[in-house]
Amino acid sequence: MKIRYLPHTADIRMKIEGSSLEELFTAGVLGMGNILRDGFCDKNGPFMLKLKIELTAHDETCLLIDFLSEVLSTSYAEKAIFCEVKFFELTTKKIRAEIHGRQQTQGFDEEIKAVTYHEADVQKNNNRDWETLIIFDI
Amino acid sequence: MKIKKADIHKIEDFLWEIPKAFRPNMRVPARVLASEPLLDAIMEDRSLVQLVNVASLPGIKGASLVMPDVHEGYGFPIGGVAATLHPDGAISPGGIGYDINCGVRLLTSDQKIADIKDKLEMLSKEMYAQVPSGMGKGGQIKLSTQEMDEVLLKGAEWAVEKGYGEKRDLAFMESNGRLENADPSLVSDMAKKRGTDQLGTIGSGNHFVEVDYVAEIYEETIAEAFGLSKDQVVILIHTGSRGLGHQVATDYIRQIISAMPNYGIEVPDRELACVPFNSKEGQNYFKAMCAAANYAWCNREVISWEVRNAWRNIFGPTIEPLKLMYDVAHNIAKVETHLVDGKQAQVIVHRKGATRAFGPGFEELPESYKSVGQPVIIPGSMGTCSYVLAGTTRSKELTFGSCCHGAGRRLSRTAAKKQVNAPVLKENLKEKGIFVEAGSFKGIAEEAPIAYKDVNMVVQTVSDSGIARKVAKLRPVVVVKG
Repeated sequence: MKIRYLPHTADIRMKIEGSSLEELFTAGVLGMGNILRDGFCDKNGPFMLKLKIELTAHDETCLLIDFLSEVLSTSYAEKAIFCEVKFFELTTKKIRAEIHGRQQTQGFDEEIKAVTYHEADVQKNNNRDWETLIIFDI
Repeated sequence: MKIKKADIHKIEDFLWEIPKAFRPNMRVPARVLASEPLLDAIMEDRSLVQLVNVASLPGIKGASLVMPDVHEGYGFPIGGVAATLHPDGAISPGGIGYDINCGVRLLTSDQKIADIKDKLEMLSKEMYAQVPSGMGKGGQIKLSTQEMDEVLLKGAEWAVEKGYGEKRDLAFMESNGRLENADPSLVSDMAKKRGTDQLGTIGSGNHFVEVDYVAEIYEETIAEAFGLSKDQVVILIHTGSRGLGHQVATDYIRQIISAMPNYGIEVPDRELACVPFNSKEGQNYFKAMCAAANYAWCNREVISWEVRNAWRNIFGPTIEPLKLMYDVAHNIAKVETHLVDGKQAQVIVHRKGATRAFGPGFEELPESYKSVGQPVIIPGSMGTCSYVLAGTTRSKELTFGSCCHGAGRRLSRTAAKKQVNAPVLKENLKEKGIFVEAGSFKGIAEEAPIAYKDVNMVVQTVSDSGIARKVAKLRPVVVVKG
């Protein structure tokens, strides 16, 4: 799993890679959690707050963006940051999963307004890994 | 797709055009309002590619437009205007943005800067204490389900009714702080949940409360009508609809992406997702957007109440109350009447990072502003300056009655953080008489003046092009941010 943050004039551009769709989706959640609070997911385990998410979408790109949007909304509603995912079902059009995180009552470092579809394109790269860019509206 | 300078034609001073023939799916030309140096700067990111994409929206009229403060966004460029024909032209949530009715307002005082200079540091700390800022922190008001629906329906009026605002303020807000088409039942439970405790909060990023003084007056008559005078202390507030608005946009972009095939619409970028304005999905989004816009006006009114409390706490209960000069949105869609193909027609004007700038005679303006035009408030970057302008009739001819909304970002947040030593910047600003209260040094570095274009150049361009007149320059003395 790889997570890289790339330059963007006003927002945050993140590139994620994974050897499976599960890894790619997990990278998205982890990368977003570490934006909300710098390094949060790297040092605050175990993540005991568990919530279920179920979604369908047209394709794997919309599914990933819609899933991350749902995780983000849940973060704000629960004042929590999510870092891990347990998958019950993941296809290119459907996800049933449980997200694991921890409450963060101190507030977040960054306000992500939204996970956008702009530049998102989930596909396999030359190494046969899944990858995509994600632009967060800040 | 790469856009070269040779693809851009100069139409007149400060107006540039990428013709409709540039790409087959363009329905109208793409136009840039900028001086040549600003145009060159704009070409450094992907703003113009995004502008060309906007020119392909169904029902778009005139031209897709960007202001001189434009920068690359995600889908629509930030600093853009797109007008589509009412009632069946497209409405696109991306053309408004996730922060629905992000906007600015200016409060005026009867104090001169020289008289309060020794209390500025205390004022900065009191404002930071009174106005909740930063991410994930709630405000003082917790809305019940019924109260939330009232806020979404009534906007700033709700704050006035509940004692968090001044009745006089309502006349001094765009649309009087309330859009009539709001329907709270079309706002999701998640959006309402996110908004429950965020009234009266500014959030983080580029949002702020700032104390300024009037450093220069350019148009005495207009300044007098707006209640502005040299050396006067004023307060600038910049924020929007917070998590509630972000969620409304997220919910409806997702729905509209799914609905587009039903209308045979294809767009070059999913963030341009759109449906006909008069479709069920289009109307649902518009009514939810109006509700979120009302939340934002209520939010800025409650923040003004907090600022007024801080002001009184420092200067005493007998101090003259702060008056609202004006409140304008810069992320919104409105149905307005403009000249289209030689005749007056109703259009849906999308403004994303653009300010309405109507000229003299506009019916909605308070009596005292009718002869001089609508105030346009342009915040600059922290530590530089901001401007008050007045809209003109020329803006109706050139930009669907719109103007720029700020300085416009130049550097990425990462680049700004690499180049700026925030503790040093804070000290340097203090030495210059500017007190900064922020939740983090990271926030200061990301919003440092170096990260932005020169607001003076941006404002000079809109002024020289005739779409707005320079009225006053403001210089900051206190900056409060998340």
